[in-house]
Amino acid sequence: MEHLNPETLARLVDEAPDAEERAHLERCRECAEEFEWIRSTSEALGRLPDVRPPRGDWAVLEARLVSEGLVRGERGWAAALARTPGWMRAAAAVVLFLSGAGVGLAVGAPGTPMRSAGVEAGMDVGFVSVEPVTVDEAAEAMRRAERVFVDALLRYRQMVDSESGDPGLVDPQRRYAALEYFLAAGEAAVREAPTDPFMNGLLASVRAERQAARQAAVRQASQQDWY
Amino acid sequence: MRALYERYAPRVYAVVRRIAGDDDLAQDYAQEAWIRAIRALPTFRGDARFSTWLHRIAVNAALQALRRADTRKRREAPMPEAVPVAPSNRDALLQGRLEEALDRLPNGMRQVLILHDVEGYTHEEIGEVLGVASGTSKSQLFKARAKMRTLLGSIDRGDADHGVEAWSI
Repeated sequence: MEHLNPETLARLVDEAPDAEERAHLERCRECAEEFEWIRSTSEALGRLPDVRPPRGDWAVLEARLVSEGLVRGERGWAAALARTPGWMRAAAAVVLFLSGAGVGLAVGAPGTPMRSAGVEAGMDVGFVSVEPVTVDEAAEAMRRAERVFVDALLRYRQMVDSESGDPGLVDPQRRYAALEYFLAAGEAAVREAPTDPFMNGLLASVRAERQAARQAAVRQASQQDWY
Repeated sequence: MRALYERYAPRVYAVVRRIAGDDDLAQDYAQEAWIRAIRALPTFRGDARFSTWLHRIAVNAALQALRRADTRKRREAPMPEAVPVAPSNRDALLQGRLEEALDRLPNGMRQVLILHDVEGYTHEEIGEVLGVASGTSKSQLFKARAKMRTLLGSIDRGDADHGVEAWSI
C-alpha cells in the first residue's frame, strides 16, 4: 500500500480530504498517526508564546530614537539642532535664549497661564493661547506637536540632502513647496501646543524662509521668461 | 513611548525573532521595526487595532531587512550547541524544540509557516506581504510542515542523546 506523502498530509490540516484520501486515512494507521502529528504540531505553533527582548534593548532603542530626533532625550534637541539648517538653528537659539529654556521645553503648572516666547520676541506668530487643564494634557500636546514637527523637519532635510545639502542651492520652487508643507505642519504643531516657545519661534522662521523662497522663485521665473 | 514599548515589545520581538531565525539579527530587525513604527505614528488612523498595525510594520520590517541582509553566510554558521534541559516542563520543552526547528527551516518556508501557523495570516495576506501568489504560499506551507516533521524528528534524536549525557553525569 502506498502511503500519503507528507505534503499531502500537511495540506489535509487545512483542507478536507477527497474520498480516496479519506479512505486511505481510515485504513492506514501509520498515515493517520503521521497526520495527527502534523496537525498537532501546527496547533502547537499557534500557541507559541511572545518573547521578551534581551535586557538593555530599550536603552539601545532610546539612544537611536534620540539620535534620529524621533524622541527628545537629555540632549536630544541639541543633537537635532546640530543637523538642522543654519537658519533654523539661529531661530531656535534665539527662541531658546528668550525662553530661558536652554534645551528642553517648558510645560506650565496647572492653573498657570504660560507666556509665549514668540510673543516676547515680537514674532508674528498669530496663535491663540490655550491653557492646558493638566500637566499630563500639556505633556501629551507637546508630544504630538513634537511628532508633527520632527516629521516635517525630516521631510525637509531629506529633500535638502537629496539635492546638495545646502538649502540655498535647492531649486527655489521645490524649496517653496517643501516649506509650504513645513509651514502647515508648524501651524498644526502650534495649534496643539500654542504656548510652546520653540514651536512658535520655528514657525516664525519658516514663514520668513518661505517668503525668501517665494521671492527667489519669482526671480527665477522672470529670468526664464526673459529668455 | 517607553510604556508603549514595554507593552508591545514581546509581541514585536517574537515575530521578528522567528522571521529572522537568529538572535543578533532579531535585535537589529526589532529596532528597525520600532523606528519605522514611531516614524509612522502620525499616520496611524485607528482603522485597525494598534497591535495589528504595529505587527504588520514589524513583519514588513523584518522581511525587508532579511531580504537586504546577506544572511546566507550567517545562517550557514554552526548552530549553537543545545543546552541540556532537565525534563521538568513539557510545554517549555515542546516550545524549545519548535523554535529550534523553525530556526533550521529555509527562509521562504519559515516565513510562510510563521505567518500562517504562528501569526494566523491567510494565504492572501501572506501573498500580499511576501509578494507571491497565494498558491505559492500554500505550497510553501505544506512543504514547511512536512519539513518540520523531519527536523523535529532529528531534534528529538538529539534530545535523547543530550538526556543520556545529562543523566550520566
